[in-house]
Amino acid sequence: MSAAKTGDASRLDQFLAFSAEVTAFGVVELQGTGQAEAYLQTVDDVVGAALVDELLVLHAKAPRATGNEGRAARGAHLRRTIFGDGKLGPVARNIVKLWYSGVWYELPGAWTETYGPAPQDVTFVVSPSSYVEGLLWTAIGAHPAGAKAPGYGSWAAPPRIPRFADDPVSPPSAEPVDGTVDAERVPA
Amino acid sequence: MNKDAAFDAVIVGAGVAGALIAKRLTDAGLTVLVLEAGPGTSRGLDDYTRHLERFYAASAKSPESPWPPAVGAPQPDTTALRNNDGYFVQRGPNPYGSSYTRLWGGSTLHWLGVSLRMLPEDFRMRSLHGVGRDWPLDYTALAPYYERAERAIGVSADVADQSYLGVTFPDGYDYPMRRVPPSYADRVLGAAVDGMPITLGDEEFAIRVRSYPAARNSIPRGDYRPAGAVDIRAGDGSSIPPLQGERCQGNTSCTPICPVQAKYHAGKTLAQADLRFLTVRVQAVASKILVDPASGAVQGIEYKRYDDPEAASHTTRVATGRTYILAAHAVENAKLMLASGLEGPRGHVGRTLMDHPALYAWGLAPLDVGAYRGPQSTSGIEELRGGAFRARHAAFRFDVGNDGWRASTGAPDTAVSDAVMTRNLFGPALRAQLGATLPRHVRLSLAVEQLPDPDNRVSIDPGYLDPLGNPRPVIDYRIDDYTLAGMAAASDVARAVFRRAGVTDCTDPSKGSWFPSVFYRGREFHYHGMGHFAGTHAMGADPAGSVVDADQRAWEHRNLFLVGSGSFPTMGTSNPTLTLAALALRTADRLVESLLP
Repeated sequence: MSAAKTGDASRLDQFLAFSAEVTAFGVVELQGTGQAEAYLQTVDDVVGAALVDELLVLHAKAPRATGNEGRAARGAHLRRTIFGDGKLGPVARNIVKLWYSGVWYELPGAWTETYGPAPQDVTFVVSPSSYVEGLLWTAIGAHPAGAKAPGYGSWAAPPRIPRFADDPVSPPSAEPVDGTVDAERVPA
Repeated sequence: MNKDAAFDAVIVGAGVAGALIAKRLTDAGLTVLVLEAGPGTSRGLDDYTRHLERFYAASAKSPESPWPPAVGAPQPDTTALRNNDGYFVQRGPNPYGSSYTRLWGGSTLHWLGVSLRMLPEDFRMRSLHGVGRDWPLDYTALAPYYERAERAIGVSADVADQSYLGVTFPDGYDYPMRRVPPSYADRVLGAAVDGMPITLGDEEFAIRVRSYPAARNSIPRGDYRPAGAVDIRAGDGSSIPPLQGERCQGNTSCTPICPVQAKYHAGKTLAQADLRFLTVRVQAVASKILVDPASGAVQGIEYKRYDDPEAASHTTRVATGRTYILAAHAVENAKLMLASGLEGPRGHVGRTLMDHPALYAWGLAPLDVGAYRGPQSTSGIEELRGGAFRARHAAFRFDVGNDGWRASTGAPDTAVSDAVMTRNLFGPALRAQLGATLPRHVRLSLAVEQLPDPDNRVSIDPGYLDPLGNPRPVIDYRIDDYTLAGMAAASDVARAVFRRAGVTDCTDPSKGSWFPSVFYRGREFHYHGMGHFAGTHAMGADPAGSVVDADQRAWEHRNLFLVGSGSFPTMGTSNPTLTLAALALRTADRLVESLLP
């Protein structure tokens, strides 16, 4: 597998495949944020495309997962080869955080000393829309503060935390205080 | 120096107090000039949207993040507190933890919107509790103006929730809009806590989670029409009818910016004023009050006008009128007086600065409460705002948060970082962990009363000037034992509330965002400011110990009024905006009486 530029569709696909696995959001959901290109570009800009390619190639080589055992083996492989790796681990964790909050976080100082310099490595919000498209809000049944407001009175109802594939535990379901619908939740 | 044509009234500051007075006066056909130190970028919807995007893109989403200062009108910033390298020159011993905004619309652009009335006993602290000082007017005198203020700024509440601790309403009165629906978290906490007994000294209180009045648009009563987003045309100053903001949408972002402007800000009042009689001059920083030394009468206000918010270059002009109203903020009013050599009777200008120093308590509920949704808060615990214990220690109120641990720890972002970096989670385990914990985040804010202390003050020093050459505020501030004992009592109540509700108490300031600390009897409290600046030009029944009278008229300058929470002799525990709005409307009535032929 060879390195390709950000604009290359197959490279973007590899980035999306990796991102989907490490965020537990589907590729379509990730594409729906409209942020994929900007995030790949961000990682390329800060740590260099070669390092990103190294990560994506390793990910593509991970064993196929079938059944619970296969999933565990694959997870262990990812942890050993990527997340547990001194060079790739911090970058992989930053990609997870990028998707969840739209923020590139400055890498640990030890990483920069060993693998740097990385002059663009400062903490920054990728763009106004990257903040709005953070995955964490969906993961917690909420919405970004200041955007995608759920509408008048919606907050009176119990939260709905979306289920997702491979959810290891059922999140505790919210129990309503009483069975009645709040009379104040009249549509405006 | 150029002199402008004379107006009936010159108002310094386009915030809530100045806007309410400007509207009342122009409605009466009086001509008004408003001098606003900051830019007017909150007037048009396109510019407002740029402020919103600035917030989205900010790494630190502080109260100030959408509202950057102009070079010529610097402002305090809570992110500068730790290193004391901001606009305020803080001399301590305790840092003053609050900020404000110098822009068209003022700090109402980023306030939370809590619109509580003061308690009747709050006006009589000296008589009833032997501490602080009495106001020169009482609840009964202010009650009609509270009603007008609630309509003018648009407050949502049900009277049925708000009659407690002596607060009364006339038969048939209700707020202009129905209460903002309490959050699911309020209902969960209320189910566990309502009726819980609390003992302070030898008094027992039964506390409950109670919806508070909020200046956020809800379902109107009668013929009331909620005021939505402001969009003023650059050319003729006319307003475009609002396309949004007539209802709260639950953006969970009252502070620092309501994206749809469903929450009140002073620009709404300015947009409603009679434009035939109103002139608003932005980027015009009042720098000196010109006074006739013989009579004390104000003859004009010198101001520095800048064209470029990024530069310090400016021209100096003088505004003149029949009467002058300082509505620039508790700190800026005092600063302007002192910069003009006007120290008030017995040097009281700038003294008795107060705030509501506040603590956070945070925990993990046993089940999802739906955190990070809805207005940042919708309810409070109010019963401990009044009582005989106030002879010994401060009263306090709790705000029950809907935005999880955002204010106390920086969550949810910090929770993501923690899960990824410390717990080494990714993939389904990460997503499950966040989904299983963050919706259970509970946060209380414990806002504590502070008494007037003459040594807590705003002063100026020629050694500290801003880029226009105007003085920067020098702050002396100390939190005394009366307030510290209130903090101790409030912390104990918060702990008991969590215990009763089965909430795991996670309050650990060492793991939270940084806040300054104070010590009391072996306990350490990390406090933040509530933005409730008050007391710097307090009103009183006579000039001994006060700067203005009950009409907010300066004792020593009879055509000069100082309005806003700077006029408060004491603070009580209510957020000050509704009370300062009521006082402004009362002063506006006096002005109309005196200025109309």
